[in-house]
Amino acid sequence: MANRGGPAQRPNPQTQGKICQFKLVLLGESAVGKSSLVLRFVKGQFHEYQESTIGAAFLTQTVCLEDTTVKFEIWDTAGQERYHSLAPMYYRGAQAAIIVYDITNMDSFGRAKVWVKELQRQASPNIVIALAGNKADLANSRAVECEEAQTYADENGLLFMETSAKTAKNVNEIFLAIAKKLPKNEQASGAGSTNQGRRLQELDGSPKAAGNCCK
Amino acid sequence: MNEGDLLQRAAEERANIVNKYARGREEGAQIDPWEDPSFEIYHVTDRYGFIHDQRVPQRKDTKEVQLERERAKKWLKMRKEWEQHKLSADKLRRRVYKGIPESLRGTFWSLLLEIDTLKKQQEGKYEEMRAIAWKWSPDIRQIDLDVNRTYRDHLMFRQRYGLKQQALFNILSAYSVYNREIGYCQGMSQIAALLLMYLNEEDAFWALSVLVCDKKYSMHGFFIQGFPKLVRFQEHHEKIMNKFLPKLKKHLDRNGVDTGLYTLKWFFQCFLDRVPFRLALRIWDVYLLDGERVLIAMAYNLLKLNRRQLMRLGMDDILQYLQIRMERSEMEDDVVIESLQRCMEELKKAKLDYPGPPPPDELPKTPFGTFTEPTFEQKVGRRTSELTALERVATESVVLRRQQTEEQLEMDQLSPRPPGTTSNGHHRLSHISGSDGGNLGDQGSKFSFDPSIDDASSLVSRRSLADTSVTSTADLSVFSSVTRSHAQDNSLDTHSNVSDDSGPRAITPTATPRALTPQPTAPSPDVVRIYVPYTSPQPPSPCRQNGDLPPRSLPCPLTSDLNKIRIKVDNNSQEEQTPIVEHGLIKPFQLNSPEIDLK
Repeated sequence: MANRGGPAQRPNPQTQGKICQFKLVLLGESAVGKSSLVLRFVKGQFHEYQESTIGAAFLTQTVCLEDTTVKFEIWDTAGQERYHSLAPMYYRGAQAAIIVYDITNMDSFGRAKVWVKELQRQASPNIVIALAGNKADLANSRAVECEEAQTYADENGLLFMETSAKTAKNVNEIFLAIAKKLPKNEQASGAGSTNQGRRLQELDGSPKAAGNCCK
Repeated sequence: MNEGDLLQRAAEERANIVNKYARGREEGAQIDPWEDPSFEIYHVTDRYGFIHDQRVPQRKDTKEVQLERERAKKWLKMRKEWEQHKLSADKLRRRVYKGIPESLRGTFWSLLLEIDTLKKQQEGKYEEMRAIAWKWSPDIRQIDLDVNRTYRDHLMFRQRYGLKQQALFNILSAYSVYNREIGYCQGMSQIAALLLMYLNEEDAFWALSVLVCDKKYSMHGFFIQGFPKLVRFQEHHEKIMNKFLPKLKKHLDRNGVDTGLYTLKWFFQCFLDRVPFRLALRIWDVYLLDGERVLIAMAYNLLKLNRRQLMRLGMDDILQYLQIRMERSEMEDDVVIESLQRCMEELKKAKLDYPGPPPPDELPKTPFGTFTEPTFEQKVGRRTSELTALERVATESVVLRRQQTEEQLEMDQLSPRPPGTTSNGHHRLSHISGSDGGNLGDQGSKFSFDPSIDDASSLVSRRSLADTSVTSTADLSVFSSVTRSHAQDNSLDTHSNVSDDSGPRAITPTATPRALTPQPTAPSPDVVRIYVPYTSPQPPSPCRQNGDLPPRSLPCPLTSDLNKIRIKVDNNSQEEQTPIVEHGLIKPFQLNSPEIDLK
């Protein structure tokens, strides 16, 4: 095991810590803002007319967590139902998932629950799942109450935040919260097909995941 | 108005205009922005109508445009010959490969697709479908979402609810009820928009219809549930890669870049958004002439032309290269298309140019244009969480293919290296010198373009939304990070500036990570994988012609018996013996009974 993933093991001169890689997948109904969340997180940009994602897109972004550098390998997927059959290929082996819904669209919240169920059934047992209620800037036309989503998230052990790719609200925060919650040690690795990203010493007392949007 | 009034009005108008010129541009002069050459849109719009972030470089392509104008005369003559049925196929082919002049592209696209004939045969059908769609189409919602974000950086589609957005909405809606088996699939909106750049609304509808159901293009199989044609084409593409670009293929495999990752958009949209737009148009010219084999050849062509760059990159950069950089690269269109022709010949010689006619599951089953009322579920947009049988086949095929690749990599690493292959997993630049397939004629020739990927200034950003292609891009993946145990360090972008030389060499990939690593926690179903060569109980399907090797154990939907899995174990084939992974060793797995039925 010690010889795996050489590059990631080298000390990072900036943090003197270790580098961890995680595969993260974004799922959710069409046009809820999956690509926009990623674009905001990775490039700090927002496009009003974000093109639809055909198939999926791949991006990476690195965040620093105390002495650890966490590199996310992000798979952004297509939202149309037709592409559902391809989803298992993306979440296969993923250590984290963000399931996105649109707070102005109740259907998309229902769809998010279906994704949660599917991941709980099919993905790696230790996958860290975050629920993102996106388009929080459109709170005027809200259709999904924050409390309702929070309750659902609590019941299912999900991280939860309301986000806005447009205003950048909670975007970095949700990725950071995931990074904090991800196991950084070997033993805790998911039973998925990959062991990447878990070759670190335990991060003692990693702070509890932040982010309760309801306040 | 009487004569006096008219005279007076004319006089006033004249005086008004004269006055404007007399005053010139002094203060108070009323000049609409569009009247001045400084009007920004003139400068940021390219000749195809795309609006850019920055000003478009002053027509460096004037020469090209002039040449095209000259050629347009020949094309006008050709059109006459076509109408009189005197046009030779050879001449047409030669000229199309040189590119249809922009001014006549629409004309010749309709001729190639024989739209007029179709339109006459089905007169009134389009309006009928459109009317039905407005009332009934269950896909309206998705279509609306996508029209609102299709080529918004193009002059035609920039205005919300503008004329071309209306047209785009109309043809997609009409098509969604015309062909109920597809309805609407994401990916079609860009195709329809491209057609609308050159054709009017109804013609674009019929053009879309030809692309989907004519056997030359057969896009039906791409867009229906389960994407059966995608799976088949990906398999075929892999075959080509293994034969002609084996080193690149291994390199991609090791980096977890599966075929499915980059081919989806290439095949679904015939390279739109994955190569510079002007090159995409050239590819479309050829595609409309020669049909689906162009997809196969062009996919090979692109990888062949870019193989040197790709061999130097790790996973992140390979994907970045295929998703974004290639679209912004300065490829010489003529060079790429000439190379495409050579690729087509090469594949033809190897009998790999055509993946064969579509098998039954890719073909439409119900006649087009017949209206049936949508079901309640469709009407209210209720979604099923269960996959259909066809979709499951797609899922399994692609996951299985990835698993096979992983197994293969593991086998390579465990077994003594066969001569002539490099299977040690090191990604040293020295490998690049041994470039792919010595049988390729033009290796290292001046025809390999180099988009000088490190030179940001040479990247032309086509669109104002250019950067969104980062996320709007890519394709399906069956990626698993297992194979990335050798991922290169150059992928660690911003936060790591570790020097390159300590990177890949530090890895000692002597054995497969998974096989050597007992899972510390809950044993995963992933740990042991059993592969059994699959043989269809049916006679060989008609799709496997052309001297293709028999398909390597990917499941095909069995039309008759969907609930039964038939496994046949072929004990004779050493290579195909099912490996079982146990404590890091691969043992041959044998069954006494050569055939078992699983129910």
